[in-house]
Amino acid sequence: MKVAINAIEYYLPSKTEDGSNLKEQNPDWRIDDIQAKTGINIRRISAPNETAADMAVLAAEKLLYSKVDIEDVDFLVFVTQSPDYLLPTSACILQDRLGLKKSCMAFDVNLGCSGFVYGLAIGGALIEAGIARSGLLICSDTYTKYIDQDDRTCRPLFSDGAAAAYLTSSTYETLGPFEMGTDGSGFNNLIVPSGGARSFELNERKLSMAGSNVFMFTMDMVPKCVDALLAKAKLNIDEIDLFVFHQASKLVIDNIIRRLELPEEKVFTNYQDIGNTVSASIPIALSDVENAKRLNNGDQVMLVGFGVGYSWGGCIVHWNSGA
Amino acid sequence: MNENEIIKIIAKTLNIAESSINMDSSADNVDEWDSLGHLGVLVALDKAFDGKLAGIPAMATADSVSKIFSVLKENSFI
Repeated sequence: MKVAINAIEYYLPSKTEDGSNLKEQNPDWRIDDIQAKTGINIRRISAPNETAADMAVLAAEKLLYSKVDIEDVDFLVFVTQSPDYLLPTSACILQDRLGLKKSCMAFDVNLGCSGFVYGLAIGGALIEAGIARSGLLICSDTYTKYIDQDDRTCRPLFSDGAAAAYLTSSTYETLGPFEMGTDGSGFNNLIVPSGGARSFELNERKLSMAGSNVFMFTMDMVPKCVDALLAKAKLNIDEIDLFVFHQASKLVIDNIIRRLELPEEKVFTNYQDIGNTVSASIPIALSDVENAKRLNNGDQVMLVGFGVGYSWGGCIVHWNSGA
Repeated sequence: MNENEIIKIIAKTLNIAESSINMDSSADNVDEWDSLGHLGVLVALDKAFDGKLAGIPAMATADSVSKIFSVLKENSFI
């Protein structure tokens, strides 16, 4: 696609949690072992009255005040699994809160860790088809609100955060190809079972994760997705300059590296001090990549998101800061 | 790879004595075999079998020595 990720900004809540907080509340947890496996030292926690939409506003405003002409925003794709309401769509509320024009289309995408790549495909297709000239792709989640204090599987991993990306048309072929997939047979392994129509009577919304099932899915599917994407792009694995995977955890990323025999220096990570921010993790990582000046124009970056659904998506970004 | 070698891998991964692991050992009766410990076991076994276990979803819930042997046998790994 002749579509570029023109700019990315992100927002993280100011409240942090580290191992000492977990140990204080759960003295029986082996914190050193947990941190050695997750690799996550610090996580961000949204305030009790701070929603994913609130965080989305703060991330998007950084773009709108500096890098985007608000009149050019023809669409707003909001990826979240923490909407303010069952209805209306959070993206509609965000259109108003951000002061976007009324001719801006706005809709939510209910996906988790694969959501940024899906959002790129959707936003890119809108631009490529001439339906829109440019628009915002915002990813924001507050999974920590779904997690109990004593949940040892989920609590050490998940973090809250929001990222806003500005997608524009490009002179160059900068985005794609894509490789996406779904395996709904794993839906029950990462789920908030209450609150929807199937269990509407349950008020308490709690995240449940069958960690080993999700891990085995990841180990199996991510290398297959990478291989399929490389074949589609007619590239060898050593022609990829940087891999940006969903920042699930050290255990997950280390084992993707092992299974694909990747050089560690070609795999960007920032989960250590941010945690797993679900749909926002890849754009946050991409922003950090850009700020660290890790890439040169013409470099090829592979993005791969994977998780809840099960859902996965990968794409190639041909890096061009002037696109 | 035989059953004794697999028990060695499990014990080493969980950082416990090999002598303390037997056919009855599981996540229910070995303290170190918690959810993170189980992920470690899965990784160690995947490495031992040249990365071929990731495609076997049943391994995810094989959280005892007997279940691990059973899944490995069903899939002709041992």
